[in-house]
Amino acid sequence: MLRMHNLSKVYRTHLIETHALRGFDIHVAKGEFVAVTGPSGSGKTTFLNIAGLLEEFTGGDYLLDGVNVKGMDDNARSKLRNEKLGFIFQGFNLIPDLNLFDNVDVPLRYRGFNAAERKRRIEEALGRVGLSSRIKHYPAELSGGQQQRVAIARALAGEPRLLLADEPTGNLDSQMARGVMELLEEINEQGTTILMVTHDPELAARAQRNVHIIDGQVSDLMKETSASLAFVGAASAANAYAADNT
Amino acid sequence: MFRYYFQLGIRSLRRNPMLTALMVVTLAVGVAASMATFTVLYTMSGDPIPGKSDRLFVPRLDNAPITGYAEGDEPSDQMTYIDANNLLASGQGVRRTAVYGITTAIESGRPDLPPFLVQGVAPTRDFFEMFEVPFLYGSAWSADDDTARKDVVVLSRETSEKVFGKINPVGKRIRMEDAEWQIVGVIDTWNPLPRYYRLINGNGGSFTGADQLFIPFQTAVRHEMGNSGNNNCNGAGPTEPGWQGWIKSECDWIQFWFEGKSAADQPRLKEFLGAYVTEQKKLGRYPRPVNVRMENVMEWMQHLGVVSADAKLSTWLAFGFLLVCLVNTVGLLLAKFSARAGEVGVRRALGATKSEIFHQYLIEAAVVGLVGGLLGLLLSFGGLWLISLQSDEMATLAKMDWAMLAMTLSLSLAASILAGLLPTWRACQVTPALQLKTQ
Repeated sequence: MLRMHNLSKVYRTHLIETHALRGFDIHVAKGEFVAVTGPSGSGKTTFLNIAGLLEEFTGGDYLLDGVNVKGMDDNARSKLRNEKLGFIFQGFNLIPDLNLFDNVDVPLRYRGFNAAERKRRIEEALGRVGLSSRIKHYPAELSGGQQQRVAIARALAGEPRLLLADEPTGNLDSQMARGVMELLEEINEQGTTILMVTHDPELAARAQRNVHIIDGQVSDLMKETSASLAFVGAASAANAYAADNT
Repeated sequence: MFRYYFQLGIRSLRRNPMLTALMVVTLAVGVAASMATFTVLYTMSGDPIPGKSDRLFVPRLDNAPITGYAEGDEPSDQMTYIDANNLLASGQGVRRTAVYGITTAIESGRPDLPPFLVQGVAPTRDFFEMFEVPFLYGSAWSADDDTARKDVVVLSRETSEKVFGKINPVGKRIRMEDAEWQIVGVIDTWNPLPRYYRLINGNGGSFTGADQLFIPFQTAVRHEMGNSGNNNCNGAGPTEPGWQGWIKSECDWIQFWFEGKSAADQPRLKEFLGAYVTEQKKLGRYPRPVNVRMENVMEWMQHLGVVSADAKLSTWLAFGFLLVCLVNTVGLLLAKFSARAGEVGVRRALGATKSEIFHQYLIEAAVVGLVGGLLGLLLSFGGLWLISLQSDEMATLAKMDWAMLAMTLSLSLAASILAGLLPTWRACQVTPALQLKTQ
């Protein structure tokens, strides 16, 4: 589904060069639920932005669902993003003056579906996240958890091959976070590949696979994951993780 | 997608209503000021007879004495009776008319209506067809009436109703100049703007007033009716006394018009005019070198400076003001669109291309322009009303037609799109990744 090889990303100013990613290799198979962890500034978000075709990379190769994205122009990247990717953001990023129906409608408009097809997909997506009854409501009228569900519905409506989630529960309380996570797991079980960036070791532990990024590179997964879980005091999770990966 | 973007534009008006109101009002005021002044200029400089203006010609001749001659001198705007008579007899052009202004008193014979003064013109019968004068009753007098110098008259609708009420008076008689005149026609309301057919000495100037009656040119001469307007004797008056002395003189007091088959007749008629002057020189007239003009309607109006310099300056100033309003609108749109960088980021992440963002925001700017245009239209009517209070002439000019109405809306749309270009381009430059993280 997603393959990056020897990928690099360098931010340059006239004074300094910052290597956000270097020699970055990753392969995410179809149907996987992968958690991406790492300390702040390690390159997680850069990786997610590049994976989501929101940023260009400096070197290396990136294949998304078999398509080499290197050198693609803005139109091609936007089309690919619209057709193959779904985004879930920490801050939900719903458009405040559009109701739920119209928010979910946004990516479908760019896909060029007709009105009937859009309506079917919107109702189905909002039904999937349990918000059918709120279709005419505005984001401000919903709780944080509900807003994130709308964002998930928006991401799902286009039936993406890969769902990219950036701290999807970061702005939610634990109960709401649990609900969102269960929803993501359910979506993954139905066949959608998910790549989730998170700081939360408990959430990361629920993913099928963890990718740990340090200094812009994928580190030794088992070692790094155990260490980080132990560091935050989640001993049982660390042991379980180590046992699972032995 | 246009409909979708248009709907988003309408919704966006409700977002931050203060900013929206400021933009709309700024644009509306600029558009209204420009259009109110431009409407006056447009009416002043408009083509009063679009179908024929390029084949109606004013001949001008330079019959002034050699004294004081300088190369480049403009020929006279009017001509002598001798020349008018000769040109009428020349058979040149499809139609031709001499015109001069008359003032006379009508005696209705009604005890309740004492004699009253009227102003009018004395042309030939061709006048009515040349200038497409609409008739309410009857028609123009005949060619025989012209030749026989008969006492026939065409009244304006206003004069006819004043004397006879709302009946058809054709065939009836009125008394003027101690004679009985037969009414052959009544013209309908006719107010070409500008009054191109009689810009010199017109009753009321270039834009107002209307002639109240029309009598044959030669009949007016037979009745020795003086010219109601400017007479130019170039420093030398008639050499003989009385009316006969006047019509034999080199004094210019008659306006003249030719109608050609097409615009192509203009150089041919000018050539004829040159030959005519050369011929007249042999008779001892025209001491100056041959200097003639043959101008069509628009050239004639330009020569007489129908559009005042003040009107042009006002329009330039108003468009300058619109430019200032546009710059302000650019600033306001920048503020509005910058506040929505997050939304741009989201839309880009969800698959919008830069081009789609560009279209969405430009259409949103156009929606502001549309609302500004509608408000501007209302303000334009207000502005024109204020202009019309200045004078009767301004009241005639300060009227908006459909073309100006459409232009007001178009100008507002064009202005808003122009103002929206920079803010929209800036919106397209939003880095989605950065915006999404900072949301």
